[in-house]
Amino acid sequence: MFLTRSEYDRGVNTFSPEGRLFQVEYAIEAIKLGSTTVGIRTPEGVILGVEKRVPSPLLESSSVEKIMEIDAHLGCAMSGLTADARTMIDHARVTSQNHAFTYDEAIGVESVTQAVCDLALRFGESMDNESAMMSRPFGVALLIAGIDEKGPQLYHTDPSGTYTRYEAKAIGSGSEAAQSDLQDKYHKQMTLTEAHHLTLRVLKQVMEEKLDHHNIQLAQVTKEKGFHILTEEELQGLIDSMPAVPAPGAAAA
Amino acid sequence: MSIMEYNGGSVVAMVGKNCVAIASDLRLGNQALTIATNFEKVFPVTDRIMLGMAGLASDVLTLRDRFRLLVNMYTIKEEREIEPETFAHLVSSTLYEKRFGPYFIEPIIAGLSKGSNKPFIASTDVIGCINFAKGFVVCGTATDKLFGVAESLWEPDLEPEDLFETISQTLMNAVDRDAFSGWGVVVHVITPEKAFTRYLRARMD
Amino acid sequence: MPHQERRFNPYTENGGTILAIAGEDFTVIAGDTRQSEGYNIQTRYAPKVFRLTDKAVLAVNGFAADGNMFVQKVQQRLEWYAHAHNKPMPLKAIARLIQTMLYAKRFFPYYVYNILGGIEEDGSGAVYSFDPVGSYEREACRAAGAAQSLVQPFLDNQIYFKNQLPPPGGAHPRHLPLNDVLSLVIDSFTGATERHIEVGDGLEIYIVLAPNKSSVELERLPGVKRIQGTFDIAGDASPDVTAAAAAVGVTGEKMFVMRRELKKD
Repeated sequence: MFLTRSEYDRGVNTFSPEGRLFQVEYAIEAIKLGSTTVGIRTPEGVILGVEKRVPSPLLESSSVEKIMEIDAHLGCAMSGLTADARTMIDHARVTSQNHAFTYDEAIGVESVTQAVCDLALRFGESMDNESAMMSRPFGVALLIAGIDEKGPQLYHTDPSGTYTRYEAKAIGSGSEAAQSDLQDKYHKQMTLTEAHHLTLRVLKQVMEEKLDHHNIQLAQVTKEKGFHILTEEELQGLIDSMPAVPAPGAAAA
Repeated sequence: MSIMEYNGGSVVAMVGKNCVAIASDLRLGNQALTIATNFEKVFPVTDRIMLGMAGLASDVLTLRDRFRLLVNMYTIKEEREIEPETFAHLVSSTLYEKRFGPYFIEPIIAGLSKGSNKPFIASTDVIGCINFAKGFVVCGTATDKLFGVAESLWEPDLEPEDLFETISQTLMNAVDRDAFSGWGVVVHVITPEKAFTRYLRARMD
Repeated sequence: MPHQERRFNPYTENGGTILAIAGEDFTVIAGDTRQSEGYNIQTRYAPKVFRLTDKAVLAVNGFAADGNMFVQKVQQRLEWYAHAHNKPMPLKAIARLIQTMLYAKRFFPYYVYNILGGIEEDGSGAVYSFDPVGSYEREACRAAGAAQSLVQPFLDNQIYFKNQLPPPGGAHPRHLPLNDVLSLVIDSFTGATERHIEVGDGLEIYIVLAPNKSSVELERLPGVKRIQGTFDIAGDASPDVTAAAAAVGVTGEKMFVMRRELKKD
């Protein structure tokens, strides 16, 4: 008896003979359809940037929210099925508040990331006596940015519940090009402004439309001000101040 | 509610080198309500003996008058001043007379004996059982606190000024942790040459 | 005759007293070791002071069964935290945790008064005191237990300089040196032992030093024993740096215990 791949697609928690969970892999695929999202860590803080797809001129671009606050020192950008991210971010917020309530201190970036990932594999067929659980994996990846006693950190989570720490990371449809661009341009001692500009440049390169302050969203987490989503004025200022052509080695200056 | 805590107040006495000191707080209360802040609880018995009483204020005043009468009777009959130790026994027997319906006070006696100038302190319970302590005696609503502080601050053979400082610190810090005592204190120090009285205003609450 | 209801009383009071004083870069946490029930002395050595982490010590007074169970539960939570967050729990976080644990049993409380002492993240000495249902406060000193009323006014006077005038043109010191604090602790307990029947037998004094404070002077005192740290999660200093610092008597937080006899009558 030979079972085709499609038969193993059925059960969300069924391993294939090769030891794969197809539903989880498909969920990871779903992210590659999402809008491009970029995160960069610098010694001063972490930058998050997303592309907001605006398919119609009638759409209020300010209503598209792809960067969200978890706590005063934690932010999160998403790519994929953004509706799924609500559940995860809600869990992250509750975890963070609970930690602050119980321990009178801000939760660590890794700890909150772990908490979100703990949710990721809680799907499957519920038993008769069980209350309803999630029927499928999350179809979203997150970039979690934050600052704790270990300094600024950037984490990436995917639908398998795996998390990894990055200096700079791109996810979503343009992630391949964006990631190689980041690899070229990123360096460890980047200033916050350089990171802002790099984020804009990477987004600009992978976006079909012309980048402006309506179709992107930027946020930062710094020691001084914590999590902050840039206003449209701040965005416009950054776009205006972008170096036209990235001079080689300009970032180090 | 204990009748001993009805009015509040505390007294302490200490022995020094050829001197004694006795002090009380100044509060008079009606349970939690403060009625007066000038209610002294230490009274002169002779030039070199003082009596302090803590407990029910009406009994304090009644016994002050009663002991004045008894001491006057003693002085007239015996044609000499009463000795501190004798006075302590007078207090004891007066209180024990009311063994089954006692006065609600605990007295403290402090004085110097006439001939030798030997310092003397004593306290009794409500029915007159005498405690001839060597170093210090306490009574009143701040008893626990007074014991704790006095046990650590007091030392033998203090000179009058040092004794004054020790008893003042003991009483002030004790009554600051007692809601029923406080509103300043009065301290009396008796030496062979002179006796002096000082009023101290500490935390007035 | 009216009907008399008999009911099981889940609580007892086991006497004893605890005390903690914070210095600028150290904290001293002490407790006597007598455990009594009514007029019976159950044991002359029942510790009431416990090491929680390399920089935190908890003293527990009141109902001994509740106290011991509470300490175990706190220690369990500290271990979970260390595994979840890859670091030992900071002192102020322990303080908050104790509040939530105590308040969780608001309607069947642990019958215990807690005093938490140790070194804060900024290196300062700290004391946190709690009531049985979790109300808490950071203070410079605190006494609790059977002889609280005897000891606390003495501490007010000697630590906070209450009712004492500052020297002319000067001010009272904000913190006392370690030797003065140790003397005050010993005096407090000998005084309390003298006047309170539930206090006595032995005195156990824990001393926690901040990372930059030398322990040379302390280790010369009689009856002082160093407690080895076992809690090395997130011990992030490199071994050679640690060794060099240890050579001059400066390492991470250091904990010592000093044992003294108290009168046994």
